[in-house]
Amino acid sequence: MTTLPVAPLTQCLTLAAKDLRLERRAGEAMLVTAPFGAVALLLAPLAVGTDTPLLRQRGPALYWLVVLLFGVLVTMRASAVEGPAQLAMLRLAGVGPRVRLAGRAVANGVLLLGFQLVLAPVAVLLYDPDLTGWPWVLPVFVLVAAGLAVLGALADALAVGLAGRTTLGPLLVAPIAVPLLLGATGVVQAAGYGRSPWPWLLLVTTVDLVAALLAAWCARYLEDLA
Amino acid sequence: MTPLITPPGPVFGRRLPLVVGVAAAAGVTAAVLSPPDVVQGDLVRLLYVHVPAAWTAFLSYGVTFAASLGWLWRRRPGMDRLAAASAEVGVFFTALAITLGSIWGRPTWGVWWTWDARLVTTALMLFIYLGYLALRRATPDPLDRAKRSAVFGVVAFAQVPLVHFSVVWWRTLHQPPSVIRPGGPTMDPSMLLVLLGNAVVFTLLYVLMVRARARMAATEDALDEAQDAHPGPLAGDAVSAPLLATARSENTDV
Repeated sequence: MTTLPVAPLTQCLTLAAKDLRLERRAGEAMLVTAPFGAVALLLAPLAVGTDTPLLRQRGPALYWLVVLLFGVLVTMRASAVEGPAQLAMLRLAGVGPRVRLAGRAVANGVLLLGFQLVLAPVAVLLYDPDLTGWPWVLPVFVLVAAGLAVLGALADALAVGLAGRTTLGPLLVAPIAVPLLLGATGVVQAAGYGRSPWPWLLLVTTVDLVAALLAAWCARYLEDLA
Repeated sequence: MTPLITPPGPVFGRRLPLVVGVAAAAGVTAAVLSPPDVVQGDLVRLLYVHVPAAWTAFLSYGVTFAASLGWLWRRRPGMDRLAAASAEVGVFFTALAITLGSIWGRPTWGVWWTWDARLVTTALMLFIYLGYLALRRATPDPLDRAKRSAVFGVVAFAQVPLVHFSVVWWRTLHQPPSVIRPGGPTMDPSMLLVLLGNAVVFTLLYVLMVRARARMAATEDALDEAQDAHPGPLAGDAVSAPLLATARSENTDV
């Protein structure tokens, strides 16, 4: 009996589907972290002041801040941990470290996109922001989700098996992911003022590409961490 | 009784501390004797410490980056120790640069802190390398620790050019580069000489600190290895298992 080799893309998508299935069963990202993010959106005005014009102006920035900080928690979810036996099985099945990291990043990206889409109406409802130029936000959703997903997958791989994984991961990711925050808020502001948001989109895209290249380069070094 | 490890000698060495001490005295003297700035007055003397501290921080992270790459390539423990020592010293110099900049900023800008691109990116760089040190501390196994931190040491360095070029790419309150720039330095030669002299002093101080820290790490590693080779008594060693099948217990307990 001969077995046909499975293409890396198929392996990657299969792993991502496995991660999403596990997350659907656990419900950590959508049933715990997303409501927690909504609570943060609700609490922020109580700290900075419930001034409606101010919140209308600053609401999008608060939204992206919550997406960045809580999005890291989505990428560090408990269901994104493979035990030594699962890792051994994947290695024996010929799944390479880059494919594993890419599969994790794809699953992270899908979950983060869902996370953003769940929180966006909450932010609109609470802050009533000016929605001028809102179509520009759509590519930002995708690009921010992609960048944060790759950085989160990388941090998750670095912190896997450590006692402080869920606290260490955000410390590793959040400072590096700041250009994503700047880019996302910059696009929203530029679109609101009628300026071209292309430079900010370019910034976010560049961060995504650099993160992807770094992740692809270092994946093999993270092979036997568990 | 024979010691488990041989002490490697003085941690700081013998000659380098003397050299650093003399150089530091010369640097301080030059900073005190240098002329005051036309605009800033005596406040300019703070910059003779702030700027070299920032440069040394960049040097530290550059060494961490190179040593991390070196470890990934050759897997030599010395590279890991060098990367870690340099990152620790880099965090110290970054914090020093931020603190001194803040002290300088209060009388000059009127605030201790401002939301300037250079300041914010430098603070982020500090937190990234604090994360690097936290990652090391969280990993007990030496090989795992070296691998994780080497990868993060390379990834983290992506922030360093961002900090350096932040004053060029954004409109900032912080002044643009005045020494390493196209067209040459904009400083008065006498001030530039003092600044460069202090940069040399800080570099020597960096070498001294990194060497000492790397030696301490080597001693710690040797101690760990020696303890692994000759394990001492464990907490539970003194406790013996109860005898369950003695004749008396059969008669009394059952």
